[in-house]
Amino acid sequence: MFRVVKRTDLTRRKSATFRLLAILAALVTSGVFLMLLGFNPLKVYVSMLDGSFGSAYRFKEAIIKTVPLVVTSLGIAVAFRMKFWNIGAEGQIIMGAFGATYFALFFNQLPAVVLIPLMMLAAIVAGGLWAFIPAFFKAHFGTNETLFTLMMNYIALKWINYLQYGPWKDPKALGFGKIAMFKDNALMPKLFGIHMGWVLAVILVVIMYIFINKTKRGYEIQVIGESENTARYAGMNVKKIILSSLFLSGAICGLVGMFQVSGVNGTLTYQVAGGVGYTAIITTWLAGLSAPVIVIVCFLFAVLQQGGTFIQTAFQIPASAAQLIQGLILFFVLGSEFFVQYRLIIRDGKNPEKVKEAA
Amino acid sequence: MNNEVYIKIENLTKTFGPVVANNNVSLEVRKGEIHALLGENGSGKSTLMNMLSGIYTPDSGAIYIKGKKVSFRNPKDSMALGIGMIHQHFKLVEVLTAKENIIAGQKGTFFIGSRKLSQKIRDISDRYGLAVDPDKKVYNMSVGEKQTVEILKVLYRGAEILILDEPTAVLTPQETQSLFNILRKMRQAGCSIIIITHKLNEVMEISDRITVLRKGETFGTVNKTDTSANELTNLMVGRAVDLSINRVEKKNDSTILKVKELTVTDEENVKALNTVSFTLDSGEILGVAGVAGSGQKELCETIAGLYPVASGVIEYNDENIVGKNPRDIIKMGISMSFIPEDRLGMGLIASMGMVDNMILKEYQNQKGLFIEKKTAKNLSQKLVEKLDINTPGIYHPVRQLSGGNIQKVLLGREIESNPHLLITAYPVRGLDINASYTIYDLLNEQKEKGVGILFIGEDLDVLMELCDRIMVLCNGEVTGIVDAANVTKEQLGLMMAGEKWEDVIGRGA
Amino acid sequence: MKKLLALMLAVAMISAALLSGCGAGSSGDDSAASTGAKAVKAGFIYIGPIGDGGYTYAHDQGRLFLEKELGAKGVTTTFLENVAEDASSEKAMKDLIDQGCNVIFATSFGYMEYVDRVAKEYPDVKFFHCSGYLSNDTNFVNYFGRIEQTRYLSGIAAALKSKSGKIGYVAAKQIPEVIRGINSFTLGVQSVSPTATVNVKWTDTWYDPTLEKNAATALLNDGCDVIAQHQDTTGPQIAAEEKNAFAIGYNSDSSKAAPKAYITAPIWNWGVYYVDQVQKILDGTWKAENYWGGLKEGVVDLAPITENAAPGTKETVEAIKAKILDGSFNVFAGPIKDQTGAVRVAEGAVMSDEDQLSCKWFVQGVNGKIDK
Repeated sequence: MFRVVKRTDLTRRKSATFRLLAILAALVTSGVFLMLLGFNPLKVYVSMLDGSFGSAYRFKEAIIKTVPLVVTSLGIAVAFRMKFWNIGAEGQIIMGAFGATYFALFFNQLPAVVLIPLMMLAAIVAGGLWAFIPAFFKAHFGTNETLFTLMMNYIALKWINYLQYGPWKDPKALGFGKIAMFKDNALMPKLFGIHMGWVLAVILVVIMYIFINKTKRGYEIQVIGESENTARYAGMNVKKIILSSLFLSGAICGLVGMFQVSGVNGTLTYQVAGGVGYTAIITTWLAGLSAPVIVIVCFLFAVLQQGGTFIQTAFQIPASAAQLIQGLILFFVLGSEFFVQYRLIIRDGKNPEKVKEAA
Repeated sequence: MNNEVYIKIENLTKTFGPVVANNNVSLEVRKGEIHALLGENGSGKSTLMNMLSGIYTPDSGAIYIKGKKVSFRNPKDSMALGIGMIHQHFKLVEVLTAKENIIAGQKGTFFIGSRKLSQKIRDISDRYGLAVDPDKKVYNMSVGEKQTVEILKVLYRGAEILILDEPTAVLTPQETQSLFNILRKMRQAGCSIIIITHKLNEVMEISDRITVLRKGETFGTVNKTDTSANELTNLMVGRAVDLSINRVEKKNDSTILKVKELTVTDEENVKALNTVSFTLDSGEILGVAGVAGSGQKELCETIAGLYPVASGVIEYNDENIVGKNPRDIIKMGISMSFIPEDRLGMGLIASMGMVDNMILKEYQNQKGLFIEKKTAKNLSQKLVEKLDINTPGIYHPVRQLSGGNIQKVLLGREIESNPHLLITAYPVRGLDINASYTIYDLLNEQKEKGVGILFIGEDLDVLMELCDRIMVLCNGEVTGIVDAANVTKEQLGLMMAGEKWEDVIGRGA
Repeated sequence: MKKLLALMLAVAMISAALLSGCGAGSSGDDSAASTGAKAVKAGFIYIGPIGDGGYTYAHDQGRLFLEKELGAKGVTTTFLENVAEDASSEKAMKDLIDQGCNVIFATSFGYMEYVDRVAKEYPDVKFFHCSGYLSNDTNFVNYFGRIEQTRYLSGIAAALKSKSGKIGYVAAKQIPEVIRGINSFTLGVQSVSPTATVNVKWTDTWYDPTLEKNAATALLNDGCDVIAQHQDTTGPQIAAEEKNAFAIGYNSDSSKAAPKAYITAPIWNWGVYYVDQVQKILDGTWKAENYWGGLKEGVVDLAPITENAAPGTKETVEAIKAKILDGSFNVFAGPIKDQTGAVRVAEGAVMSDEDQLSCKWFVQGVNGKIDK
């Protein structure tokens, strides 16, 4: 009874309307759910915004959440531009964190001005290599990059788990499986109360925008993403470009690992990536791979997450229920993308002549 | 001729977004007639037929089969009413036999005795003169045989109305003749046949009545006996068109490209080109004829440095370029332009605008990290004016341009790089008549400038009129290189089917 | 393109301006928290969900008890559950402080260093950290209970029930708190059946119902017939129930989860401590003192012994309990031998609190290993 037809005619205003409608639908649905739990949905929603904008502290926290998402999304976008489906940002973040932590733990006699850049470099190299490996196998043996990068995530995770409970276990923690806290010289300096990562993130957004749109390599990446054949035809060394760009993609994600261990956590735990690598896939996609839009989408995402924790304490809503609301909103927004691109035609069985269009 | 109406289409309209593919199209097909649907690319022929075979659903209008109003939800509905469609690209399972392909997907065939089935297939074959061995595997078949299997498949399923979409595009002239014989027999047996084509001579040869589509609308149905090729062209294009191509006389004869004993193999280690040798002079157009998939693509890509060479030599201005990749070739300053067959998949970047496409082969010669677009912008503007490219703007994605304009962008870019050698594959595929002639003119212009042109074509008439010499390929081998002025279509057809030129001459055909 | 760049720069500048505002405002936050010195708002962070029926549940019961007892005096509470033992705990504490909490109870070991950090940042907020060893003199204390006392008692109950002489123990992490618990339990077991062994299986998790249940099942398959646990779920007890064996719980009375297997459980009454501390804050008599209460203080107890116990268990346990309460018996009194048979605590001596807090060895009778 249904048919799916690809849209070609959607105006900007119309697609914006769809997205707004989706958010509205999400709010209504989770509103019903909230009412069943005995809360006033309107109050809850207002308070979700309050969770990010209600105080300077909350706004800062929202920014702290935005930074890793933005940077990871920038990294993922490079790979996605080439239609290289890098699902491995999570692992690349973890390995970046590993690289940074290595220097934080074993070279902590160095002054901060040397140590911090060293840690960053280590994070970049480690994250870059972690993405380079699947790219190498794809380029030379045609392996599937989606599965490969995904599996690399688990290897990275288990590796840190091993270090945390094994060789890198903090002897002072009396057997508790944790890595020692970094000394102060391994902690990123702060600017306006937030670790310097945010400044780097802003710079990176500008750089990546210019890189993709203004440089030769950016142009090559775009052409490869469009058609490898065209790239070969134009004389590009496709393999080399894919490998180096994937290194870049992983390196940017690895930098996030550095931010998290040195700027936020003050040590390494196996939860360091905390799903950012996966969430960033969604934000990258929603932002249409565009660097400036990524900033906006990631900030909205952070607000959503921040609001989710805020209502837990403000209303004593169970953590799982708060996550459910976040999930519902995401579900509807992603779902609306389908209707932005396709339309559904419902056919009336009795009157085949009559064709109704459903939004 | 019986006058009973089999199919009646009334005022069908179908839109895709803002594009009106069919607008109030009406058509009548009688029992026992061959009805040609004539129109240029993009005139809505395929859309119309897809609605008739249940692939698309019309927005408005009605279809009547044998006087009964019908509405199709899917191709199965249409099949059930006796409509069978033969697509341009065959939908056969290569590893199965003809028989297995014919019964595949049929309900309740599991228990039917194999012998009984073969018998039924033979009965149909005999009735219409379809020469097919039911137990032959599809991968062992020629293109013509595969097409026959497709026809057999729909007949086996009880089709009385047959729709053929550009059926002769992949056939040699001889194979085309045998197809037409089959169609004539079917007509005698009372079937209705709709043949979609843009080849006027075929229309004049086979059809009884002709319906012309232009820009999604029907421009009348005429009896073949009451019309001529020229009149049909006028109907198709909307005004009178001169159908002859000028052949510019070749001036000098310095060899620019020399290919010796070139052999390449594909991934399965099958020889895609087998000891191919030929030469190309400056200011010459060498046509390449052959059934689709005879090695044309490999030949082009090998010369352009995109395909690995197994053995042989390619000399460009006496320098062997085997082993060099496209980048080297560009860097060496060799002006060789390859206009690939797959325009949007290879020659152009579909989602980018003209400017970004102009940079494609030139940016590597730029210095520094950043890309400079000013030259490309000027070039784009120049081309838009010079070649009369119809685009909303030079930043508008080329994907959204019409086929002719896309081809102009591609050809324009290559010509602007002042090449000495131009390789072009099917440059007029999908173009309307006017655009095709613009392209021919452009090629002739280059020829006059002394550019050597390798022209891969599919329309033998065009090859014979435009080229100086024609090289015929069959299964990756050269079956002959002949003077275009002194060869007949039939001779070319025999070579396309694998006979050597010496044998063809010997026959005195 | 130029427009976009301009837009981005504008966004960057606005956010920078906002952030600099934040920097200036942060000291204001602290003072806001300190004004609430009278009206206590206590924030709890939990490792698991409040419905875990175990460790977190016990703490949350304490929170509710606090609200019930002191709610009339303007004490309010709030909590965050499922808070991981990493930097997210730091954020959780700051979130709670942001929402007006001036007393923080951080109830899991792994929060310790983050509590330490936050305590320095917010000198006007009082921090209570459960089961750790860091503290300061002004606003950061640790608290815990001598659950070993009732673990010892539960060991007696387990030994009396076991026919095979093999008792299983599903244990969370290799930290002194857990090791101490295993040791006291084993000492209790051996006090009534000297040849019985306690077989330890590590899970490395506090809260994982499936993993913990599977660990118990493995022990039962190895011939254990009573299962004890240092876990926050009822998984091990359910495993025992399914295999027709018996189980000692932990944290709170869980007779409902495994009615045929559950014998008793060492349990927490955190409310006693929470009310005491908050009352002192209200009175203005609070001092930064670490706390290690026991049976006497009421913060730990043994849950009522069920019908599943062996006959006479109640009497034996009550007798020892009375001796602990009157101070005539100490669980960690010598002689205590380690797994190699070497005497670690001499006859007549008692293991010091410091040794207990850093204990990294098993007593004789434990069948298990501590990684170095």
